[in-house]
Amino acid sequence: MTGEQPLIEVRGLTKRFGGLTAVDGLDFEIRPGEVLGLIGPNGAGKSTTFNVISGTYQASAGSMRLDGEEILGLPPHRIAARGIMRTFQHNMPFEGMSVAENVMVGAQTTVRSTLGRILLGTAAARAEEQAIRARADELIDFVGLSEERDAEVTSLSFGQGRLLETARALAGEPRIILFDEPAAGLTPSECDRLGVIIRGIAERGIAVLLIEHDMRFLLPLADRVIVLNFGQKIADGTPDTIRTDPAVVDAYLGEAGGVGADA
Amino acid sequence: MSDLLELLVSATASGCVYGLVALAYLLVLRPTGVVNFASGEWAMMGAFAAYVLAGMLEVPTVVAIPGAVLVLAVIGWATEWFTVRPLVERGAGHLAPILALLGMLVIYHQATLLVFGGENYPLDGPFGFNRVELGPFAGTSQSFFIIVMTAVIFVAVWLFFERTVWGKSFEAVAINRRAAALMGINLRLVTALSFAGGAAVAAMAGLLDGPRGSVEVNAALPFAVQGFSALIIGGINRVEGAILGGIILAFAEDLTRRYVPIPSGLALGVTPVLLIAFLLVRPTGLLRAKEAG
Amino acid sequence: MVALMRWVGGAAVLCVIPFLLQPYELDLYRKLLFWVALAISYNFLFGISGQMALSHFAFAGIGAYAVVILMTQAGLPLGLAVVVALALAAALALIVALAATRLEGFYLALATLAFAQLLIVVLNEGGSLTGATGGLTNYRLPPIFGFVIGGPGTAIIMIAVLLATLAILLRIDRSWFGRACRAIRDNSEAAAAMGIDVARTKTIAFTTTSVMAAAAGMVYAFFDNTVNPPVFGIDNAIMLLFMVIVGGSGSHLGAIIGAVLLKLSQDFLEPIVGHYHALGFGVIVVVAILIQPKGLIGMWDQIRARRVAARKRAAS
Repeated sequence: MTGEQPLIEVRGLTKRFGGLTAVDGLDFEIRPGEVLGLIGPNGAGKSTTFNVISGTYQASAGSMRLDGEEILGLPPHRIAARGIMRTFQHNMPFEGMSVAENVMVGAQTTVRSTLGRILLGTAAARAEEQAIRARADELIDFVGLSEERDAEVTSLSFGQGRLLETARALAGEPRIILFDEPAAGLTPSECDRLGVIIRGIAERGIAVLLIEHDMRFLLPLADRVIVLNFGQKIADGTPDTIRTDPAVVDAYLGEAGGVGADA
Repeated sequence: MSDLLELLVSATASGCVYGLVALAYLLVLRPTGVVNFASGEWAMMGAFAAYVLAGMLEVPTVVAIPGAVLVLAVIGWATEWFTVRPLVERGAGHLAPILALLGMLVIYHQATLLVFGGENYPLDGPFGFNRVELGPFAGTSQSFFIIVMTAVIFVAVWLFFERTVWGKSFEAVAINRRAAALMGINLRLVTALSFAGGAAVAAMAGLLDGPRGSVEVNAALPFAVQGFSALIIGGINRVEGAILGGIILAFAEDLTRRYVPIPSGLALGVTPVLLIAFLLVRPTGLLRAKEAG
Repeated sequence: MVALMRWVGGAAVLCVIPFLLQPYELDLYRKLLFWVALAISYNFLFGISGQMALSHFAFAGIGAYAVVILMTQAGLPLGLAVVVALALAAALALIVALAATRLEGFYLALATLAFAQLLIVVLNEGGSLTGATGGLTNYRLPPIFGFVIGGPGTAIIMIAVLLATLAILLRIDRSWFGRACRAIRDNSEAAAAMGIDVARTKTIAFTTTSVMAAAAGMVYAFFDNTVNPPVFGIDNAIMLLFMVIVGGSGSHLGAIIGAVLLKLSQDFLEPIVGHYHALGFGVIVVVAILIQPKGLIGMWDQIRARRVAARKRAAS
């Protein structure tokens, strides 16, 4: 399922806040259709890594190449335009719009019609709008929100909001999708459902980077796992090797329940 | 030279009035994040309250001033209770309270206009209008009274924030509302007191300024505009910023009017030009926030 | 096709009305159209893009003054004066937008308020160029293609500007651009993560709507063949904001309803009850924000939703 050529290559990624080094020389790569898990105890630098990749924070050093092209340090909207879409840990829907419109916003990076063409109402502009709507409908069905298509987003449950985030990110036709602790706050059955959706995304050939605290959710899902502690990579391998890696067990010992515990 | 020194005194007095209105904005803005455009109306209403007490009911000044301040404090408290609290508790967007207070601005303005009309009313200062000379500085007694009262208010507010447990809890709310609530600080009370305090300080600005000209409804908009301009210039994060911004604004205005050969009407452009310049170049104002810690 | 017929029908009705009115009523009608046109574009700026700018009337003033000055003092023919005035408004709007759209929330309100104030100062002190506090008078609209335009004629031009504003904004609102504006309004961080260039989108929205305000202001300049500073001041800018809030911010129909209701109530109630009218106005705005943040349109939606729910219950 995983291709040979890496889609994204991260080298020496470093982020310092004043005297504190939150991420220290991180290397990794992701291939198309691969589910890569990034885990670590609280304060390991997971969220910082996520924010640097998505362009929210400026990296202190390092490089990030997409198809060999350097993209580290681009602002968030340019990162998204390169096909790197994300979800938010605390759902961030557009509250004044319906579920379908929220997903359509996600398709922003795919539009080609200029404002001039829209004003003229050209056939191409209208066809594109139709296509975006159709694609949004398809994605809403894919994540299982068909019933709520025209609902106000404020009426969604937290779990449904997470599904909406997923559909919205997919609407941008991403090559890689970043999930920021997607299992946080979900019920066990919602977690299962999300797991199935994430596998489905990978099967479409989209790379998935999962930043997750909850190992029980992550390990069955990931093709490969990177473990961070104090900003540094302490392990990199398949879920099976990670589960028994002494360094990982050590890092998680301070955490209640150890490896496999709930977040 | 004596001309300049006299100008300095009156400009400082104007700056004190602006600084007080800026402080009224700041007291509300810090803990709530709401810019209250009705602050100018509060200043105008404070002047009217003083006029009613001192001018119409002939209450002695030492009672009229605190009386007017108390009236406005109650109005400020009621405003918070009626318009801002329901919005905050409903979780409305950050613009909603600003818009609601803009509506309150119209209500205050029109209500005062209905009662007093558009006329000018005289307000006597406590020490009349005789000229006072202090070393090289000369000015009206009202100017010196304004400067002294403003200094007292700013020192008191500064001490409150820096030296009392209560003041610290206001500061904590300003930095992080949720964390402050978790620490057991009564958010509702802090917010209500901020509005009461803001209205009281605005009232002081209005009733101190009144004797220099007259009391009129139309003074509200200039109070509002000069107040927030002073606030942006000085910086929205520090009590000292309010008075610094007020003084800078008043000096820029008065020196331009006196020494720059342009029509007096054009000198009205000084405030918006300064405000725009600061918003673009240094939106945090001259004084930065202290390091949170 | 049906949609086009609806537009033509609506335009025809609006255009017939001025010929049926007495001069005083015609004047109210023209000014009502002016306010509605401004409310539609301001709704896009404030209600849809979420930019609380207070410069909308200032741009109407720039359009009005610019076209008159270019015609009477620079001697340009009307057509050229209109084009140059629109270009001038666009350039100024772009400058303000590039600076102001970097500012969030109330900072934007303060910056645009300062800009509006500065414009009033310049108009008041512009000497013979702007006619100072008295404004400009003694000019008239030259014949257009040989037709001398009278009172009803200016109303029809205003209707054209209003409908063009509405048609353009409806069209871009129903495209990716409208969605981008609403997304930024609701959550600018999430909007950026979806690939939306926040600063660029805000700048386009601000400039477009400000130019629309300038176009409406140009027509306004020929209603009474006089322009003066107070019309374009802060009081009216706040009134416009209230119209959009009361009608239902974010809704085109809401903006129209809000403008019509508040303007008519001002025209008809103010002569009778004086300042009590303005007081009631403030009360309505505060109550609207407290009870129904989506204004009259939101109230209507609520009633309709309740009816549908009741019908469903009755059916089952």
